[in-house]
Amino acid sequence: MAAPSVAIEFKDVGLTFPASAGEPVVALADATCQFEPGKVTAIIGPSGCGKSTLLQIVRGFLTASRGTVLFIDRGTGKPAERPAMSTVWQAFNLFPWLTVIENVAFGLEMRGMARREREALARKAIAAVDLSGFENKYPRQLSGGMRQRVGLARALVMKPDILLLDEPFGALDAQTRLVLQEQLAKLVEESGMTAILVTHSIEEAILLADTIIVMSARPGRVIADLPVELPRPRSFATTQEAGYSRLFDQIYGMLRDEVMRAIVVESSA
Amino acid sequence: MTQHETKSILDDPRVLGWGSVVLVIAFWEIAARLTGVNSLYLPRPSQIVVALVDMFTTGGLLADLLMTLYRIFAGFAIALVVGTLLGVWIATSPRVRAVADMWIAALYPLPKVTLIPLLIIWLGTGGPFMLTISALGAIFPILINTVLGVRQCDPGLVLAARDLNASPSQIVHKVLIPSAIPSIFAGVRLGLGVSIILVVAAEMVVGKVGLGARLYLAGQILETEQVFAVLIVLAALGITVTKIQDQIDVWLGRWRLA
Repeated sequence: MAAPSVAIEFKDVGLTFPASAGEPVVALADATCQFEPGKVTAIIGPSGCGKSTLLQIVRGFLTASRGTVLFIDRGTGKPAERPAMSTVWQAFNLFPWLTVIENVAFGLEMRGMARREREALARKAIAAVDLSGFENKYPRQLSGGMRQRVGLARALVMKPDILLLDEPFGALDAQTRLVLQEQLAKLVEESGMTAILVTHSIEEAILLADTIIVMSARPGRVIADLPVELPRPRSFATTQEAGYSRLFDQIYGMLRDEVMRAIVVESSA
Repeated sequence: MTQHETKSILDDPRVLGWGSVVLVIAFWEIAARLTGVNSLYLPRPSQIVVALVDMFTTGGLLADLLMTLYRIFAGFAIALVVGTLLGVWIATSPRVRAVADMWIAALYPLPKVTLIPLLIIWLGTGGPFMLTISALGAIFPILINTVLGVRQCDPGLVLAARDLNASPSQIVHKVLIPSAIPSIFAGVRLGLGVSIILVVAAEMVVGKVGLGARLYLAGQILETEQVFAVLIVLAALGITVTKIQDQIDVWLGRWRLA
Protein backbone atom coordinates (compact mmCIF):
# COMPACT_ATOMS: atom_id res chain seq x y z
CA MET A 1 0.00 0.00 0.00
CA ALA A 2 1.35 3.43 -0.93
CA ALA A 3 1.74 5.86 1.96
CA PRO A 4 -1.73 7.29 2.55
CA SER A 5 -1.82 11.03 2.01
CA VAL A 6 -5.39 12.25 1.58
CA ALA A 7 -7.23 13.82 4.51
CA ILE A 8 -10.97 14.44 4.69
CA GLU A 9 -12.22 17.71 6.17
CA PHE A 10 -15.84 18.24 7.19
CA LYS A 11 -16.93 21.84 7.74
CA ASP A 12 -20.41 22.44 9.18
CA VAL A 13 -21.69 19.37 7.38
CA GLY A 14 -25.35 18.46 7.81
CA LEU A 15 -27.93 16.32 6.09
CA THR A 16 -31.68 16.82 6.28
CA PHE A 17 -34.12 14.60 4.41
CA PRO A 18 -37.21 16.48 3.26
CA ALA A 19 -40.24 14.57 4.49
CA SER A 20 -43.26 14.09 2.27
CA ALA A 21 -45.44 14.41 5.34
CA GLY A 22 -44.62 16.05 8.67
CA GLU A 23 -41.31 17.57 9.64
CA PRO A 24 -38.11 17.01 7.68
CA VAL A 25 -35.75 14.46 9.24
CA VAL A 26 -32.41 15.76 10.43
CA ALA A 27 -30.03 12.83 9.95
CA LEU A 28 -26.94 14.87 10.83
CA ALA A 29 -27.09 18.37 12.30
CA ASP A 30 -23.60 19.79 12.24
CA ALA A 31 -20.31 18.00 11.88
CA THR A 32 -16.97 19.77 11.78
CA CYS A 33 -14.11 17.32 11.99
CA GLN A 34 -11.25 15.82 10.07
CA PHE A 35 -9.90 12.43 9.21
CA GLU A 36 -6.13 12.30 8.83
CA PRO A 37 -4.25 9.89 6.59
CA GLY A 38 -2.49 7.02 8.33
CA LYS A 39 -4.65 7.48 11.43
CA VAL A 40 -7.58 5.63 12.90
CA THR A 41 -10.46 7.94 13.76
CA ALA A 42 -13.34 6.66 15.86
CA ILE A 43 -16.78 8.25 15.86
CA ILE A 44 -18.79 7.59 18.98
CA GLY A 45 -22.22 8.80 20.00
CA PRO A 46 -25.69 7.79 21.17
CA SER A 47 -27.99 5.79 18.88
CA GLY A 48 -29.54 7.82 16.09
CA CYS A 49 -26.99 10.64 16.31
CA GLY A 50 -25.98 10.31 12.68
CA LYS A 51 -22.70 8.40 13.03
CA SER A 52 -23.54 6.06 10.19
CA THR A 53 -24.90 8.96 8.13
CA LEU A 54 -21.56 10.69 8.55
CA LEU A 55 -19.79 7.54 7.36
CA GLN A 56 -22.08 7.28 4.31
CA ILE A 57 -21.24 10.90 3.43
CA VAL A 58 -17.53 10.06 3.66
CA ARG A 59 -18.11 7.04 1.40
CA GLY A 60 -20.11 9.14 -1.06
CA PHE A 61 -23.33 7.13 -0.80
CA LEU A 62 -25.09 10.12 0.76
CA THR A 63 -24.57 13.77 -0.18
CA ALA A 64 -24.48 16.48 2.47
CA SER A 65 -27.25 19.05 2.23
CA ARG A 66 -25.21 21.67 4.09
CA GLY A 67 -21.55 22.49 4.60
CA THR A 68 -18.47 21.33 2.73
CA VAL A 69 -16.60 18.06 2.47
CA LEU A 70 -13.02 18.46 1.25
CA PHE A 71 -10.43 15.91 0.24
CA ILE A 72 -6.97 17.35 0.68
CA ASP A 73 -3.61 15.84 -0.14
CA ARG A 74 -1.50 16.47 2.95
CA GLY A 75 1.66 16.09 0.87
CA THR A 76 0.90 18.93 -1.54
CA GLY A 77 -1.86 20.76 0.33
CA LYS A 78 -4.00 20.59 -2.81
CA PRO A 79 -7.51 19.23 -3.25
CA ALA A 80 -7.57 15.53 -4.17
CA GLU A 81 -9.94 12.93 -5.54
CA ARG A 82 -12.07 10.93 -3.14
CA PRO A 83 -9.78 8.11 -1.97
CA ALA A 84 -10.72 4.46 -2.54
CA MET A 85 -12.70 3.07 0.39
CA SER A 86 -14.13 -0.24 1.51
CA THR A 87 -16.62 -0.86 4.28
CA VAL A 88 -17.00 -3.52 6.97
CA TRP A 89 -20.67 -3.68 8.00
CA GLN A 90 -22.35 -4.36 11.32
CA ALA A 91 -24.71 -6.85 9.63
CA PHE A 92 -21.74 -8.41 7.73
CA ASN A 93 -23.70 -8.15 4.45
CA LEU A 94 -21.98 -11.21 3.01
CA PHE A 95 -23.60 -12.64 -0.11
CA PRO A 96 -25.20 -15.82 1.29
CA TRP A 97 -25.21 -17.66 -2.06
CA LEU A 98 -21.45 -17.23 -2.51
CA THR A 99 -18.72 -19.16 -0.73
CA VAL A 100 -16.15 -17.45 1.47
CA ILE A 101 -13.62 -17.15 -1.34
CA GLU A 102 -16.26 -15.93 -3.81
CA ASN A 103 -17.38 -13.31 -1.29
CA VAL A 104 -13.84 -12.10 -0.69
CA ALA A 105 -13.09 -12.02 -4.44
CA PHE A 106 -16.37 -10.21 -5.27
CA GLY A 107 -14.91 -6.70 -5.45
CA LEU A 108 -11.99 -7.89 -7.59
CA GLU A 109 -14.46 -9.67 -9.89
CA MET A 110 -16.36 -6.39 -10.29
CA ARG A 111 -13.08 -4.81 -11.43
CA GLY A 112 -12.88 -7.47 -14.14
CA MET A 113 -9.91 -9.32 -12.67
CA ALA A 114 -9.45 -12.86 -14.02
CA ARG A 115 -10.59 -15.73 -11.80
CA ARG A 116 -7.15 -17.23 -11.15
CA GLU A 117 -5.67 -13.90 -10.17
CA ARG A 118 -8.54 -12.78 -7.95
CA GLU A 119 -8.75 -16.13 -6.18
CA ALA A 120 -5.03 -16.02 -5.41
CA LEU A 121 -5.45 -12.57 -3.81
CA ALA A 122 -8.60 -13.68 -1.99
CA ARG A 123 -6.78 -16.72 -0.59
CA LYS A 124 -4.09 -14.44 0.84
CA ALA A 125 -6.69 -12.14 2.41
CA ILE A 126 -8.49 -15.14 3.90
CA ALA A 127 -5.22 -16.38 5.38
CA ALA A 128 -4.59 -12.91 6.84
CA VAL A 129 -7.79 -13.19 8.90
CA ASP A 130 -6.96 -16.78 9.96
CA LEU A 131 -9.72 -18.43 7.91
CA SER A 132 -7.62 -20.69 5.68
CA GLY A 133 -9.46 -23.96 5.13
CA PHE A 134 -12.87 -22.26 5.08
CA GLU A 135 -12.61 -20.95 1.50
CA ASN A 136 -15.43 -23.13 0.17
CA LYS A 137 -17.86 -22.76 3.07
CA TYR A 138 -21.01 -20.71 2.79
CA PRO A 139 -21.57 -17.82 5.26
CA ARG A 140 -24.38 -19.78 6.97
CA GLN A 141 -21.84 -22.40 7.98
CA LEU A 142 -19.70 -19.91 9.90
CA SER A 143 -20.04 -18.33 13.34
CA GLY A 144 -20.69 -14.59 13.65
CA GLY A 145 -17.06 -13.84 14.42
CA MET A 146 -15.87 -15.84 11.41
CA ARG A 147 -18.38 -14.11 9.16
CA GLN A 148 -17.09 -10.73 10.20
CA ARG A 149 -13.53 -11.84 9.50
CA VAL A 150 -14.74 -12.69 5.99
CA GLY A 151 -16.24 -9.18 5.87
CA LEU A 152 -12.87 -7.75 6.89
CA ALA A 153 -10.99 -9.84 4.30
CA ARG A 154 -13.47 -8.75 1.61
CA ALA A 155 -12.77 -5.09 2.42
CA LEU A 156 -8.99 -5.47 2.82
CA VAL A 157 -8.46 -7.39 -0.42
CA MET A 158 -9.56 -4.21 -2.24
CA LYS A 159 -6.51 -2.44 -0.77
CA PRO A 160 -8.57 0.64 0.08
CA ASP A 161 -6.93 3.95 0.95
CA ILE A 162 -9.40 4.20 3.81
CA LEU A 163 -11.08 1.32 5.65
CA LEU A 164 -14.57 2.16 6.91
CA LEU A 165 -15.78 0.17 9.91
CA ASP A 166 -19.50 0.65 10.60
CA GLU A 167 -20.03 -0.83 14.08
CA PRO A 168 -18.14 -3.90 12.87
CA PHE A 169 -18.48 -5.88 16.08
CA GLY A 170 -21.93 -4.68 17.12
CA ALA A 171 -23.64 -7.95 16.19
CA LEU A 172 -21.16 -10.19 18.00
CA ASP A 173 -21.14 -11.59 21.52
CA ALA A 174 -18.87 -9.94 24.09
CA GLN A 175 -16.07 -12.55 24.07
CA THR A 176 -15.84 -12.74 20.27
CA ARG A 177 -15.86 -8.97 20.16
CA LEU A 178 -12.88 -8.74 22.52
CA VAL A 179 -10.82 -11.15 20.44
CA LEU A 180 -11.64 -9.43 17.17
CA GLN A 181 -10.95 -5.98 18.64
CA GLU A 182 -7.48 -7.13 19.65
CA GLN A 183 -6.85 -8.69 16.24
CA LEU A 184 -8.01 -5.55 14.47
CA ALA A 185 -5.84 -3.37 16.76
CA LYS A 186 -2.83 -5.48 15.77
CA LEU A 187 -3.70 -5.33 12.08
CA VAL A 188 -4.11 -1.56 12.22
CA GLU A 189 -0.81 -1.07 14.03
CA GLU A 190 1.12 -3.28 11.65
CA SER A 191 -0.27 -1.80 8.45
CA GLY A 192 -0.47 1.86 9.50
CA MET A 193 -3.73 2.06 7.58
CA THR A 194 -6.23 4.88 7.52
CA ALA A 195 -9.50 3.83 9.07
CA ILE A 196 -12.73 5.38 10.29
CA LEU A 197 -14.54 3.41 12.97
CA VAL A 198 -18.14 4.05 13.93
CA THR A 199 -18.93 2.49 17.30
CA HIS A 200 -21.10 2.49 20.41
CA SER A 201 -18.30 1.12 22.49
CA ILE A 202 -15.96 3.53 24.31
CA GLU A 203 -13.59 0.64 24.98
CA GLU A 204 -13.41 -0.25 21.30
CA ALA A 205 -12.82 3.39 20.33
CA ILE A 206 -9.93 3.78 22.80
CA LEU A 207 -8.40 0.43 21.89
CA LEU A 208 -8.31 1.14 18.16
CA ALA A 209 -8.28 4.88 17.53
CA ASP A 210 -5.74 7.68 17.36
CA THR A 211 -8.54 10.24 17.60
CA ILE A 212 -12.06 9.95 18.98
CA ILE A 213 -14.85 12.17 17.70
CA VAL A 214 -17.72 12.39 20.18
CA MET A 215 -21.18 13.23 18.88
CA SER A 216 -24.24 14.61 20.65
CA ALA A 217 -27.64 12.95 20.80
CA ARG A 218 -30.02 13.57 17.90
CA PRO A 219 -29.83 15.89 16.07
CA GLY A 220 -26.15 14.93 15.97
CA ARG A 221 -23.36 17.46 16.27
CA VAL A 222 -19.67 16.90 16.86
CA ILE A 223 -19.06 17.93 20.48
CA ALA A 224 -15.48 16.80 21.03
CA ASP A 225 -12.40 15.65 19.16
CA LEU A 226 -10.09 13.83 21.56
CA PRO A 227 -6.62 12.45 20.85
CA VAL A 228 -5.84 9.01 22.27
CA GLU A 229 -2.31 9.17 23.54
CA LEU A 230 -2.02 5.67 24.95
CA PRO A 231 1.02 3.74 23.71
CA ARG A 232 0.76 1.06 21.05
CA PRO A 233 0.58 -1.88 20.69
CA ARG A 234 -2.69 -1.83 22.58
CA SER A 235 -4.59 -4.84 23.81
CA PHE A 236 -7.02 -5.77 26.53
CA ALA A 237 -4.21 -4.95 29.01
CA THR A 238 -4.44 -1.32 27.90
CA THR A 239 -7.73 -1.08 29.76
CA GLN A 240 -5.80 -1.43 33.04
CA GLU A 241 -3.78 1.76 32.49
CA ALA A 242 -4.52 5.02 34.27
CA GLY A 243 -4.67 7.01 31.02
CA TYR A 244 -7.34 4.63 29.76
CA SER A 245 -9.63 5.18 32.74
CA ARG A 246 -9.26 8.93 32.55
CA LEU A 247 -10.20 9.00 28.86
CA PHE A 248 -12.98 6.49 29.38
CA ASP A 249 -14.49 8.60 32.19
CA GLN A 250 -14.22 11.75 30.13
CA ILE A 251 -16.03 10.23 27.14
CA TYR A 252 -18.54 8.41 29.32
CA GLY A 253 -19.39 11.70 31.05
CA MET A 254 -20.12 13.38 27.74
CA LEU A 255 -22.16 10.50 26.40
CA ARG A 256 -24.13 10.06 29.61
CA ASP A 257 -25.17 13.72 29.56
CA GLU A 258 -26.22 13.35 25.92
CA VAL A 259 -28.17 10.16 26.49
CA MET A 260 -29.93 11.66 29.53
CA ARG A 261 -30.78 14.76 27.52
CA ALA A 262 -32.20 12.60 24.71
CA ILE A 263 -34.34 10.65 27.18
CA VAL A 264 -35.74 13.85 28.67
CA VAL A 265 -36.43 15.36 25.21
CA GLU A 266 -38.12 12.18 23.97
CA SER A 267 -40.27 11.67 27.06
CA SER A 268 -41.48 15.28 26.97
CA ALA A 269 -42.19 15.18 23.23
CA MET B 1 -37.95 -58.28 11.68
CA THR B 2 -37.69 -56.44 14.98
CA GLN B 3 -40.15 -53.82 16.07
CA HIS B 4 -37.47 -51.17 15.77
CA GLU B 5 -36.82 -52.01 12.13
CA THR B 6 -40.53 -51.94 11.30
CA LYS B 7 -40.81 -48.52 12.82
CA SER B 8 -37.85 -47.10 10.92
CA ILE B 9 -39.21 -48.43 7.62
CA LEU B 10 -42.57 -46.78 8.28
CA ASP B 11 -40.76 -43.52 9.05
CA ASP B 12 -39.44 -43.41 5.49
CA PRO B 13 -41.87 -41.17 3.57
CA ARG B 14 -41.07 -42.96 0.29
CA VAL B 15 -42.11 -46.34 1.72
CA LEU B 16 -45.38 -44.87 2.99
CA GLY B 17 -46.10 -42.98 -0.24
CA TRP B 18 -45.43 -45.85 -2.64
CA GLY B 19 -46.92 -48.41 -0.25
CA SER B 20 -50.23 -46.56 -0.21
CA VAL B 21 -50.28 -46.56 -4.04
CA VAL B 22 -49.65 -50.32 -4.18
CA LEU B 23 -52.34 -50.97 -1.56
CA VAL B 24 -54.99 -48.92 -3.36
CA ILE B 25 -54.25 -50.62 -6.69
CA ALA B 26 -54.41 -54.08 -5.11
CA PHE B 27 -57.71 -53.26 -3.42
CA TRP B 28 -59.10 -51.89 -6.72
CA GLU B 29 -58.07 -55.00 -8.66
CA ILE B 30 -59.55 -57.37 -6.07
CA ALA B 31 -62.74 -55.35 -5.56
CA ALA B 32 -63.34 -55.07 -9.33
CA ARG B 33 -62.88 -58.83 -9.80
CA LEU B 34 -65.14 -59.73 -6.85
CA THR B 35 -67.96 -57.34 -7.76
CA GLY B 36 -67.68 -57.92 -11.53
CA VAL B 37 -68.21 -54.23 -12.26
CA ASN B 38 -68.56 -53.46 -15.97
CA SER B 39 -65.13 -52.47 -17.31
CA LEU B 40 -66.80 -49.80 -19.41
CA TYR B 41 -67.20 -47.84 -16.16
CA LEU B 42 -64.26 -49.08 -14.14
CA PRO B 43 -61.64 -51.23 -15.83
CA ARG B 44 -59.32 -53.28 -13.62
CA PRO B 45 -55.75 -52.03 -13.12
CA SER B 46 -54.46 -55.09 -15.01
CA GLN B 47 -56.63 -54.17 -18.02
CA ILE B 48 -55.37 -50.59 -17.87
CA VAL B 49 -51.75 -51.75 -17.86
CA VAL B 50 -52.42 -53.90 -20.94
CA ALA B 51 -54.03 -50.90 -22.69
CA LEU B 52 -51.09 -48.71 -21.68
CA VAL B 53 -48.51 -51.13 -23.08
CA ASP B 54 -50.55 -51.53 -26.30
CA MET B 55 -50.83 -47.78 -26.75
CA PHE B 56 -47.09 -47.31 -26.33
CA THR B 57 -46.04 -50.24 -28.55
CA THR B 58 -48.53 -50.00 -31.40
CA GLY B 59 -50.80 -47.04 -30.70
CA GLY B 60 -48.27 -44.21 -31.08
CA LEU B 61 -48.74 -42.89 -27.54
CA LEU B 62 -45.03 -42.07 -27.33
CA ALA B 63 -45.42 -39.57 -30.18
CA ASP B 64 -48.35 -37.97 -28.32
CA LEU B 65 -46.34 -37.78 -25.13
CA LEU B 66 -43.35 -36.20 -26.88
CA MET B 67 -45.57 -33.68 -28.65
CA THR B 68 -47.25 -32.68 -25.40
CA LEU B 69 -43.87 -32.40 -23.63
CA TYR B 70 -42.53 -30.25 -26.45
CA ARG B 71 -45.52 -27.90 -26.27
CA ILE B 72 -45.31 -27.59 -22.49
CA PHE B 73 -41.57 -27.02 -22.27
CA ALA B 74 -41.11 -24.83 -25.35
CA GLY B 75 -43.86 -22.48 -24.16
CA PHE B 76 -42.54 -22.66 -20.63
CA ALA B 77 -39.00 -21.78 -21.77
CA ILE B 78 -40.33 -18.66 -23.50
CA ALA B 79 -42.20 -17.73 -20.32
CA LEU B 80 -39.09 -18.28 -18.19
CA VAL B 81 -36.89 -15.98 -20.26
CA VAL B 82 -39.50 -13.28 -20.87
CA GLY B 83 -40.96 -13.50 -17.33
CA THR B 84 -37.61 -13.21 -15.57
CA LEU B 85 -36.38 -10.33 -17.73
CA LEU B 86 -39.66 -8.43 -17.45
CA GLY B 87 -39.78 -9.16 -13.72
CA VAL B 88 -36.32 -7.70 -13.11
CA TRP B 89 -37.21 -4.67 -15.21
CA ILE B 90 -40.47 -4.12 -13.32
CA ALA B 91 -38.78 -4.59 -9.93
CA THR B 92 -35.97 -2.14 -10.61
CA SER B 93 -37.93 0.67 -12.26
CA PRO B 94 -40.78 2.39 -10.38
CA ARG B 95 -42.22 3.78 -13.63
CA VAL B 96 -42.31 0.42 -15.36
CA ARG B 97 -43.83 -1.00 -12.19
CA ALA B 98 -46.61 1.60 -12.21
CA VAL B 99 -47.59 0.54 -15.73
CA ALA B 100 -47.11 -3.18 -15.16
CA ASP B 101 -49.10 -3.30 -11.90
CA MET B 102 -52.19 -2.23 -13.82
CA TRP B 103 -51.81 -4.90 -16.51
CA ILE B 104 -50.87 -7.66 -14.10
CA ALA B 105 -53.88 -6.86 -11.93
CA ALA B 106 -56.13 -7.09 -15.00
CA LEU B 107 -54.62 -10.17 -16.65
CA TYR B 108 -53.31 -12.35 -13.82
CA PRO B 109 -56.68 -13.34 -12.28
CA LEU B 110 -58.17 -14.07 -15.70
CA PRO B 111 -58.46 -17.86 -16.10
CA LYS B 112 -56.18 -18.52 -19.05
CA VAL B 113 -58.45 -21.22 -20.50
CA THR B 114 -60.90 -18.42 -21.31
CA LEU B 115 -58.33 -17.10 -23.77
CA ILE B 116 -58.40 -20.30 -25.85
CA PRO B 117 -61.24 -19.17 -28.19
CA LEU B 118 -59.60 -15.81 -28.85
CA LEU B 119 -56.17 -17.35 -29.42
CA ILE B 120 -57.65 -19.85 -31.88
CA ILE B 121 -59.21 -16.97 -33.84
CA TRP B 122 -55.86 -15.17 -33.93
CA LEU B 123 -53.39 -18.03 -34.27
CA GLY B 124 -55.33 -21.04 -35.53
CA THR B 125 -54.89 -24.37 -33.79
CA GLY B 126 -51.29 -25.18 -34.74
CA GLY B 127 -47.92 -24.88 -33.02
CA PRO B 128 -47.95 -21.11 -32.39
CA PHE B 129 -51.27 -21.42 -30.56
CA MET B 130 -49.99 -24.23 -28.34
CA LEU B 131 -46.75 -22.39 -27.47
CA THR B 132 -48.67 -19.21 -26.72
CA ILE B 133 -51.14 -20.89 -24.39
CA SER B 134 -48.33 -22.72 -22.59
CA ALA B 135 -46.26 -19.54 -22.22
CA LEU B 136 -49.30 -17.57 -21.03
CA GLY B 137 -49.90 -20.08 -18.27
CA ALA B 138 -46.37 -19.95 -16.91
CA ILE B 139 -45.44 -16.33 -17.38
CA PHE B 140 -47.51 -14.70 -14.63
CA PRO B 141 -46.33 -16.81 -11.68
CA ILE B 142 -42.72 -16.48 -12.88
CA LEU B 143 -42.97 -12.75 -13.45
CA ILE B 144 -44.74 -12.00 -10.17
CA ASN B 145 -42.31 -14.12 -8.15
CA THR B 146 -39.34 -12.51 -9.87
CA VAL B 147 -40.63 -9.05 -8.95
CA LEU B 148 -41.21 -10.16 -5.34
CA GLY B 149 -37.81 -11.84 -5.09
CA VAL B 150 -35.89 -8.89 -6.45
CA ARG B 151 -37.79 -6.40 -4.28
CA GLN B 152 -37.17 -8.47 -1.17
CA CYS B 153 -33.42 -8.43 -1.69
CA ASP B 154 -31.66 -7.25 1.48
CA PRO B 155 -30.72 -3.57 0.84
CA GLY B 156 -27.55 -4.20 2.84
CA LEU B 157 -26.33 -6.57 0.11
CA VAL B 158 -26.91 -3.95 -2.58
CA LEU B 159 -25.03 -1.42 -0.47
CA ALA B 160 -22.17 -3.89 0.05
CA ALA B 161 -22.00 -4.50 -3.71
CA ARG B 162 -21.90 -0.75 -4.39
CA ASP B 163 -19.18 -0.44 -1.78
CA LEU B 164 -17.21 -3.05 -3.74
CA ASN B 165 -17.61 -0.89 -6.84
CA ALA B 166 -20.26 -2.97 -8.63
CA SER B 167 -21.93 -1.09 -11.49
CA PRO B 168 -25.74 -0.90 -11.65
CA SER B 169 -25.83 -3.71 -14.20
CA GLN B 170 -23.43 -5.82 -12.11
CA ILE B 171 -25.74 -5.26 -9.13
CA VAL B 172 -28.63 -6.65 -11.17
CA HIS B 173 -26.69 -9.71 -12.38
CA LYS B 174 -24.58 -10.47 -9.34
CA VAL B 175 -26.87 -9.48 -6.48
CA LEU B 176 -30.53 -8.92 -7.36
CA ILE B 177 -31.05 -11.96 -9.59
CA PRO B 178 -29.07 -14.45 -7.45
CA SER B 179 -30.89 -13.30 -4.32
CA ALA B 180 -34.24 -13.70 -6.12
CA ILE B 181 -33.53 -17.21 -7.43
CA PRO B 182 -35.39 -19.11 -4.67
CA SER B 183 -38.43 -16.92 -5.28
CA ILE B 184 -38.11 -17.20 -9.08
CA PHE B 185 -37.97 -20.97 -8.74
CA ALA B 186 -41.14 -20.97 -6.63
CA GLY B 187 -42.74 -19.16 -9.58
CA VAL B 188 -41.30 -21.72 -11.98
CA ARG B 189 -42.99 -24.52 -10.00
CA LEU B 190 -46.38 -22.82 -10.11
CA GLY B 191 -45.94 -21.74 -13.72
CA LEU B 192 -44.97 -25.17 -15.01
CA GLY B 193 -48.04 -26.66 -13.33
CA VAL B 194 -50.29 -24.15 -15.07
CA SER B 195 -48.55 -24.80 -18.40
CA ILE B 196 -49.24 -28.53 -18.13
CA ILE B 197 -52.91 -27.91 -17.34
CA LEU B 198 -53.37 -25.46 -20.21
CA VAL B 199 -51.60 -27.50 -22.87
CA VAL B 200 -53.59 -30.63 -22.05
CA ALA B 201 -56.83 -28.64 -21.93
CA ALA B 202 -56.06 -26.98 -25.28
CA GLU B 203 -55.24 -30.35 -26.81
CA MET B 204 -58.60 -31.67 -25.61
CA VAL B 205 -60.34 -28.81 -27.36
CA VAL B 206 -58.47 -28.63 -30.66
CA GLY B 207 -55.61 -31.11 -30.77
CA LYS B 208 -55.16 -33.94 -33.23
CA VAL B 209 -52.05 -35.25 -31.47
CA GLY B 210 -50.99 -34.96 -27.87
CA LEU B 211 -52.05 -36.54 -24.59
CA GLY B 212 -55.10 -34.28 -24.24
CA ALA B 213 -56.29 -35.20 -27.73
CA ARG B 214 -55.81 -38.93 -27.03
CA LEU B 215 -57.70 -38.60 -23.76
CA TYR B 216 -60.63 -36.85 -25.35
CA LEU B 217 -60.78 -39.24 -28.28
CA ALA B 218 -60.69 -42.31 -26.04
CA GLY B 219 -63.55 -40.88 -23.99
CA GLN B 220 -65.59 -40.22 -27.11
CA ILE B 221 -65.43 -43.89 -28.16
CA LEU B 222 -65.85 -45.21 -24.60
CA GLU B 223 -62.38 -46.78 -24.44
CA THR B 224 -62.24 -46.43 -20.67
CA GLU B 225 -58.97 -48.40 -20.34
CA GLN B 226 -57.32 -45.93 -22.68
CA VAL B 227 -58.73 -42.97 -20.72
CA PHE B 228 -57.16 -44.38 -17.58
CA ALA B 229 -53.94 -45.16 -19.41
CA VAL B 230 -53.54 -41.53 -20.52
CA LEU B 231 -54.38 -40.33 -17.00
CA ILE B 232 -51.60 -42.55 -15.65
CA VAL B 233 -49.13 -41.07 -18.14
CA LEU B 234 -50.19 -37.58 -17.05
CA ALA B 235 -49.84 -38.51 -13.38
CA ALA B 236 -46.39 -39.98 -14.06
CA LEU B 237 -45.45 -36.78 -15.87
CA GLY B 238 -46.59 -34.79 -12.82
CA ILE B 239 -44.58 -36.93 -10.42
CA THR B 240 -41.45 -36.75 -12.59
CA VAL B 241 -41.66 -32.98 -12.93
CA THR B 242 -42.23 -32.53 -9.19
CA LYS B 243 -39.31 -34.76 -8.24
CA ILE B 244 -36.95 -33.03 -10.66
CA GLN B 245 -38.05 -29.68 -9.25
CA ASP B 246 -37.39 -30.94 -5.71
CA GLN B 247 -33.86 -31.88 -6.72
CA ILE B 248 -33.27 -28.49 -8.34
CA ASP B 249 -34.63 -26.83 -5.19
CA VAL B 250 -32.14 -28.69 -3.03
CA TRP B 251 -29.30 -27.76 -5.36
CA LEU B 252 -30.31 -24.09 -5.54
CA GLY B 253 -30.83 -23.90 -1.80
CA ARG B 254 -27.51 -25.50 -0.84
CA TRP B 255 -26.27 -22.23 0.63
CA ARG B 256 -29.45 -21.91 2.70
CA LEU B 257 -29.50 -25.44 4.11
CA ALA B 258 -25.81 -25.59 4.81
